[in-house]
Amino acid sequence: MSRTGRLTRVLGGVFAALVGAFLIAPVAVTVASSLTETSYVTFPPQGITLRWYAEVLRKPEFLSSFAVSAGVAVAAAAISAVVGLAGGLAIHRYRFPGRAALETVLSSAFAVPTIVLGIGLLQWFAQMGLASSPFTLLLAHLVLTVPYAVRLVLAGLAGLDRSAEKAAAGLGAPPFLVFWHVTLPAVRGALIGGAFFAFITSFDDLTVALFVVTTDLQTLPVRIFNYMQYDYDPTVTAIGTLMVLFALVAVVVIERFVGVAKLFGADEEHKGKE
Amino acid sequence: MTSTPLTSAKTPPGTDAPRGRLRLDGVRKILGGKEVVSAVDLETEPGEFLTLLGPSGCGKTTTLNMIAGHLTADGGLIEVDGRDITTVAPHRRSMGMVFQSYALFPHMTVAENVAFGLRMRKVAATRRGKQVAEVLELVGLDGMSERHPRQLSGGQQQRAALARALVIQPDLLLLDEPFSNLDAQLRVRLRDEVSALQRRIGTTAILVTHDQEEALAVSDRIAVMADGVIHQLDRPQEVYLRPATDFVAQFIGEVNALDGTAAGGGTCEVAGRKVSATPVGQAPAEGAAVRVYVRPEVVRVGSGDQGEGLHGTVRDTRFLGSRIRCVVSTPAGEVTAALPFDARVPAAGEEVTCSWRPSDASLAAR
Amino acid sequence: MAAVGRVAGGAVTAGAGRSARRTGLLLALPALVIFALLFVAPLFTLVANSFRTQTGAFTLGNYARFLGDPFYRDVLWNTLKVAGLTTLGCLLVGYPFALYLRGRSPRVRNWLALLLLSPLLISMVIRAYGWLVVLGPNGPVASVIKWFGLTPPQLLYNDTAVLIGMVHVMLAYMVLPLMGSLDRIDPTLVPAAKGLGAPGWTCFWRITLPLSAPGMLAGAMIVFSLTASSFVTPAILGGPKVKLMPYFVYTQATTTLDWPYAAAIGFVLVVVTTGLLLGYSRLLRRGKGEVVFQ
Repeated sequence: MSRTGRLTRVLGGVFAALVGAFLIAPVAVTVASSLTETSYVTFPPQGITLRWYAEVLRKPEFLSSFAVSAGVAVAAAAISAVVGLAGGLAIHRYRFPGRAALETVLSSAFAVPTIVLGIGLLQWFAQMGLASSPFTLLLAHLVLTVPYAVRLVLAGLAGLDRSAEKAAAGLGAPPFLVFWHVTLPAVRGALIGGAFFAFITSFDDLTVALFVVTTDLQTLPVRIFNYMQYDYDPTVTAIGTLMVLFALVAVVVIERFVGVAKLFGADEEHKGKE
Repeated sequence: MTSTPLTSAKTPPGTDAPRGRLRLDGVRKILGGKEVVSAVDLETEPGEFLTLLGPSGCGKTTTLNMIAGHLTADGGLIEVDGRDITTVAPHRRSMGMVFQSYALFPHMTVAENVAFGLRMRKVAATRRGKQVAEVLELVGLDGMSERHPRQLSGGQQQRAALARALVIQPDLLLLDEPFSNLDAQLRVRLRDEVSALQRRIGTTAILVTHDQEEALAVSDRIAVMADGVIHQLDRPQEVYLRPATDFVAQFIGEVNALDGTAAGGGTCEVAGRKVSATPVGQAPAEGAAVRVYVRPEVVRVGSGDQGEGLHGTVRDTRFLGSRIRCVVSTPAGEVTAALPFDARVPAAGEEVTCSWRPSDASLAAR
Repeated sequence: MAAVGRVAGGAVTAGAGRSARRTGLLLALPALVIFALLFVAPLFTLVANSFRTQTGAFTLGNYARFLGDPFYRDVLWNTLKVAGLTTLGCLLVGYPFALYLRGRSPRVRNWLALLLLSPLLISMVIRAYGWLVVLGPNGPVASVIKWFGLTPPQLLYNDTAVLIGMVHVMLAYMVLPLMGSLDRIDPTLVPAAKGLGAPGWTCFWRITLPLSAPGMLAGAMIVFSLTASSFVTPAILGGPKVKLMPYFVYTQATTTLDWPYAAAIGFVLVVVTTGLLLGYSRLLRRGKGEVVFQ
């Protein structure tokens, strides 16, 4: 390799490392600062203590917010998986009235800003007389999560050889068992990945929640957002670290079952794996 | 007759009635407003290897799917051993099907794939294991049972798919272009293996293919299909040497098609000369317009004018390895002969006569 | 599941017939209901409300007010400016990064792609908070500046802070289409050009760059529109001083309680961003693969 070639390579490596550092900086700093002994947030942390994690547990408003967020997120994950499976099957296999409309809505849902969806839902719920509750929040989050679930299921179904279903039927499997033994395994990864993504999307959402919730019912991100306006102690870094852990679990599971890159629409070829 | 348990189970003791007699009577299918299969009649002997041969879109796969039950016929009758199965759901038929894509269940091991049909039949686990092991040995996949399909080569996947279809001891073995995803060498080897295996087990097999050589090599009989219709249903030699229609003649290999007038008794007049051929079906009435089909391989080229046969001048000869291709210009048009490489090679410009045995050519109304 | 297995071997695999239509409709029903009631209806409400006065009469006043008031024109301009600068920042950081990824082994690429994408699954609140710490008075940036004996400037609650945070959030959306575009360039083109005597820089300028233009355009459109409609990161890093449209949608809806006006600002935002995003997905579909975004 020529000298300029090597130089480009080294510079490229340095640049990539800097980008990497930039990408993880806010997360790494948050996690590290959560261990500080000082009563204000500082980096590098001074001393090491788990005091702020204990502090989180001593704040009932954070615990109740966590419960609301987790409950809504679990429900959103489960419902997204089921609705996504049914919707994906319908779009992939059947012609029915409303199919084109559903496809259009599913693909354009991504394009509508979350904040606009939030204010739309606020005004629509008010018009319907629906009071803010974990249920309305769940409904709102489904709009964010179902399109992903459907899309992942569709990708899973596209990878399934329809002949395999015919083969199973020919071997004596009635329709339900064909579905159970052949179709479902083909979309298993999509369902698991989609559910975890739905969970994390719902759990992390601030924009929609800000519009849908009231002061008595605050999700964890809303609670943190409000808390940050007035307090600057390391409690938030401790909660943040816990939320990062949640996200890491989701990353590992999604990468294992569908691939994070695929979730965000990268072509298979970008992954370079398999 | 045979020693494998698989086959002995096929004909239970005390019942001599052979199984696997398929009958199609006027079967039709309309897809997307177009009749893709029109009134197909077909009957197999038990244990027969029958091939549906034709170009893509000729209706052969649709016919197979109706036999398997993946499509329902829009008219006509499908019977297996006297039982009407026209509208029976696929899982209530007993068909072992092998697909072009193999269609193995990707999340199951080879053994699990093969055992699937037995599980659906609620065969006890121990017996299941034994039968799976037997059939895997039969197809030469012993030792591969714990692999997943993606860990197998194309040929191995095809064997696994075959094992999966055979283990349920189906009434019929349906093969949907099973070799077309394999490379040329493997294709030949596997097709010979499958045909030998089928003969040994004695299951009636229906093969769908567009590959005429494959059809000729493995079939007891071939049904040549085009535009949803069977053009000819006969033994391979018959279909090859004595094609019934232009389509059959053109689709399978090279052919000399000579137009003439029927002269009665299996002869006809072509460009003023008497030419012999075997009529396909009913002999055409004297004076009727007919066409004679002659394969280049059966054409003999003799020097000079020999009175019978077509007289002409050699235009071109070419050495092609196993054969010598000789084109003769005759009053009836060009006649191509494929001569064995040790034959005397006529030179270009030489006067010759092209002849053939009457049984090696067919005569059909035009 | 009545229609499973009743399907031809052809490319069209959708079930036909009345019972299949019913099955399909039944399966799609939950999704149809969710999107009719929670997506289409709210957006219609929003549009309808944007043409109403607080008392419900028809008016174009909300839009007239938004476009007529220099303050809000300033907000619109600032929104477009921040979105544009973020796009530029993403391009400047993302393009070399995508080029670097292109030359790496699949394993390295995978890890770097995961590193790039994983932050997307971490709460935006926490990521923005992380930047508060990094850029804050006791953060690492301030420490380094102090170490040099200088007084650190105010790094937070201004356009720069928002810009840094937004580039961090949006970088992946720029790099993904860029990678796609770069991957589709025939790898023999550059050696061919070199063989014809073109130096490395010219090869890049005349071949790689123009051929990756679709990826740049796609990335730019998505980053621009997502940034223009971002609320969380600007709200946390910019505060009330950085005036962006999403922030005013929020305050009009929850503090001022002028819903029609909030709806109108929101609708302007939709027109600006959705138009770009739909154009973007069309652009991508014409190429290969579809891109999903938040």
